[in-house]
Amino acid sequence: MRKYKTPLGTAVVVAMVLAVAACGSSSSKSSASSASSTSSSTAGGSSSSGKSGGTATVVEGTFPQSLDPSIDFTTQGGEVHWLTHLGPYSFAHATGTAGTQIIPSMAQALPTVADGGKTYTFTLRPGLKYSDGTPVKASDLTFAIERDLKLGWSAASFLTSTIAGASDYAKGKAKTISGITTNDASGKTTIHLVMPYGAFLDVLAVPGVSYLPASTPMKPEPNSPPVGFGPYVIKNVQSNVGFDLAINPNYASQAIPGIPAGKMNVNVKVESNTTTEASDVLNNSADVFDWGDTIPPALIQQVSQQKDRYKAYETNKTFYWFLNTTQKPFTSTLARQAVAYAVDRPALARIGSGALVPGCFLLPPQMAGHPTGSCPYGNVNATPDVAKAKQMVQQSGMAGTPVTVWAENRQPRLQWAENYAATLNAIGFKATLKTIADADYFSTIETLKNHPQTGFADWQQDFPNPTDFYQNLVDANAIAPVGNSNYEEVKDPHIQSELAALYPVQGNQINTAASRWQALDSYVTSKAYVVPYGYESSPEFLSNRIDFGKVVFSPLEGNDFSSLQLK
Amino acid sequence: MSTVTGTEVPIESSAWDAGGELPPGLGPYQLAWRRLRRNKVALAFGGLFLAVVIVCLLAPVYANHIAHSGPNDQHVDTALNQFGLPIGPTWHAKFFLGADNTGRDVAVRLLYGGRNSLQIGAEATIITIVLATLLGIFAGYFRGPADGLISRAFELIWAYPVYLLGIALGVVLAISGLDLGFVHISGNSLQIPAIIIGIIYIPYVGKAIRGQVLGLREREFIDAARQQGLGHFRIMFGEILPNVASTIVVFIPLIMANAILTEAGLSFLGAGVRPPNPSWGTMIGEGIGLLPAAVHTMLVPGIMLVLCVLGINVFGDGLRDALDPRAKIRIEH
Repeated sequence: MRKYKTPLGTAVVVAMVLAVAACGSSSSKSSASSASSTSSSTAGGSSSSGKSGGTATVVEGTFPQSLDPSIDFTTQGGEVHWLTHLGPYSFAHATGTAGTQIIPSMAQALPTVADGGKTYTFTLRPGLKYSDGTPVKASDLTFAIERDLKLGWSAASFLTSTIAGASDYAKGKAKTISGITTNDASGKTTIHLVMPYGAFLDVLAVPGVSYLPASTPMKPEPNSPPVGFGPYVIKNVQSNVGFDLAINPNYASQAIPGIPAGKMNVNVKVESNTTTEASDVLNNSADVFDWGDTIPPALIQQVSQQKDRYKAYETNKTFYWFLNTTQKPFTSTLARQAVAYAVDRPALARIGSGALVPGCFLLPPQMAGHPTGSCPYGNVNATPDVAKAKQMVQQSGMAGTPVTVWAENRQPRLQWAENYAATLNAIGFKATLKTIADADYFSTIETLKNHPQTGFADWQQDFPNPTDFYQNLVDANAIAPVGNSNYEEVKDPHIQSELAALYPVQGNQINTAASRWQALDSYVTSKAYVVPYGYESSPEFLSNRIDFGKVVFSPLEGNDFSSLQLK
Repeated sequence: MSTVTGTEVPIESSAWDAGGELPPGLGPYQLAWRRLRRNKVALAFGGLFLAVVIVCLLAPVYANHIAHSGPNDQHVDTALNQFGLPIGPTWHAKFFLGADNTGRDVAVRLLYGGRNSLQIGAEATIITIVLATLLGIFAGYFRGPADGLISRAFELIWAYPVYLLGIALGVVLAISGLDLGFVHISGNSLQIPAIIIGIIYIPYVGKAIRGQVLGLREREFIDAARQQGLGHFRIMFGEILPNVASTIVVFIPLIMANAILTEAGLSFLGAGVRPPNPSWGTMIGEGIGLLPAAVHTMLVPGIMLVLCVLGINVFGDGLRDALDPRAKIRIEH
């Protein structure tokens, strides 16, 4: 699943967007409001100096959860839908911190926020047409959000817990979402929230909250994804094998400022062996390495020497073990804390090609709210205190309890899980490994009835706000029969009350609430609902034929395929 | 019990021509053993296979008294460099064949992996031979609807490519395990791949036995047995089974070799032996991820697999030649 973070709050982001907008956008062909545009400096891919044409081959470790944007919420899927199914807002196509800025996409400008943060109003850009020529209507957003809820979008809690009437619609108690009103003639859209929600603009920029024609079937369409609006169109889908991203010929004439048209067609193919994946790019038989994967140990030294086509970015990605609090032995706080003490973080970092920075908090270091204190379970860079952990397991009365560790087959995730299972055995549990095919792993552990005991999980920020981590991973409201990302099944009243107070904090004021987020993150760490073990950098690794300097690497969506161009 | 074999009793022409006494009568298995003893190549490779088996059975001795490391003991600090690359072969007892990607001793895992591979191969062979023999005899003897049902089932399994069927069953059973009501086998048990492989190969043996039984049931000695009032059970297992025994014996090494290879293939693809249990297939799979920097992690189990399967196959060919020189038994996928 997705995971990441950024240091700036949304307010700062908004301020930067406005500042950038004030500079104007010389490359924009859109007639839309200049107030919403982004300077070309933030989007390397928008430069017109690159060579267009050709096809880039992208190797991905796993197929997206679904190519239907109403279902998918993975790094591999977001990287695609970011370019094929635009919503009212988007994140800037820019490398580094600038890439966390929210820009108006299909909306004309940033929204007007009223009613104490409970009402968002914006207007659809006029004259936009989907890739098949169908005109875009304001009401298409309502339809798309309803489709997200009907089809079980993995991040549906972003919508059901915020938009008035969304929860009732999801439960079948209402025929439409009462909190969204649209006017197709004027393009005006108003969204009413049940309470102020500081990250709502971020949610409106997340891939998945996109415009879809109302004629789109209300059923999953993974092999024939719905028509959308964006620089690319998905074609030739072969499930779990690959697909093409073809340049949308109709986009260039109606391009959104800051969201450039594609320069190369893209062929995405799945290569589950990360060594093959990396060697394909190293040998120039593929062009782009999956930013969600880890360069394997066998090639990391060789790859890291390729300064002109490899760079690692801090993208706020936390790797952790989830401990299901409804399943023994993890019903015991002492047993969970024992695990937190015993996890060998330096060993896991070494197994992960050295790309993992050991840590023990859920929020990654550059995310507002990351605790400033040291890890309560000892030095994360030192050998763990296994003896103490073993003693705690004995005290908990859970020694000898069978534990099933769920894991993916991918390197190094499988090796991490093997190390983790060995750790659990060393402290007195009877751990066995249950490996699931990579393509099915998250959908399996997200099915509530499976009640996975413990296993691998990770999260990369979807937007620069700790809400992204907490609302998905430990909020009791995220527990759902399918698409459940609260693998721990945590229902902690203290967490809920704190989240109720923190969610309304606007993104531009996130730093004012940082200390409260820090306290909450420390609390979650102390309870060991999750046992984070590190934060990994993300690789930008391209073939020799791609112009590395021109390619945008978004901290939120990874490689920006629209910026790929030949040297 | 009557025994009819397709083999011809060899007549020593020199003794016959010289008017000397004919050698004492020899049974078919004695003749087969005589032929096998003459086939030095087959015996040598049989010995190679036996050596592999013995070495693998001694895995705990090696692990406890020489390497001082279990098959799943990880030595991340000492066996991996800062980039996670494992050390190669050394001249020390520990890590003699190097380490893998989590710092485990490759030599120890090689021997334990061999035990697992051989165990699965043996169990799968038993499952295949027993069920194929029962079903083949039953179908060939009774013919009619029973034959139709069993033969169609054989063809159904046969119609699936071996590895696709193995992967499908392996992935499904890995999650839920196998619940037979009276017994539950967990998803990470070695019995799961053994059962899968055992079932997959049933048609390859069952169809051959059925064909042989169809011919045998028309022979005079079966008519005689019926005339004597023997029941179906006694005819099938007292009269027919001994006459297909040589075929079954020939199939055993062939199935064993194929089962070991299939296990390695399925484990390599993640649908066989479940981690962290070692097998040669899983070790090769893990080793692939370390190429080209740590070739030993793939090469060592690969060589062991080749030696083992080569040993069984060449010995199996010799056995087939000895038992039935005219037979053309092959496993074709």
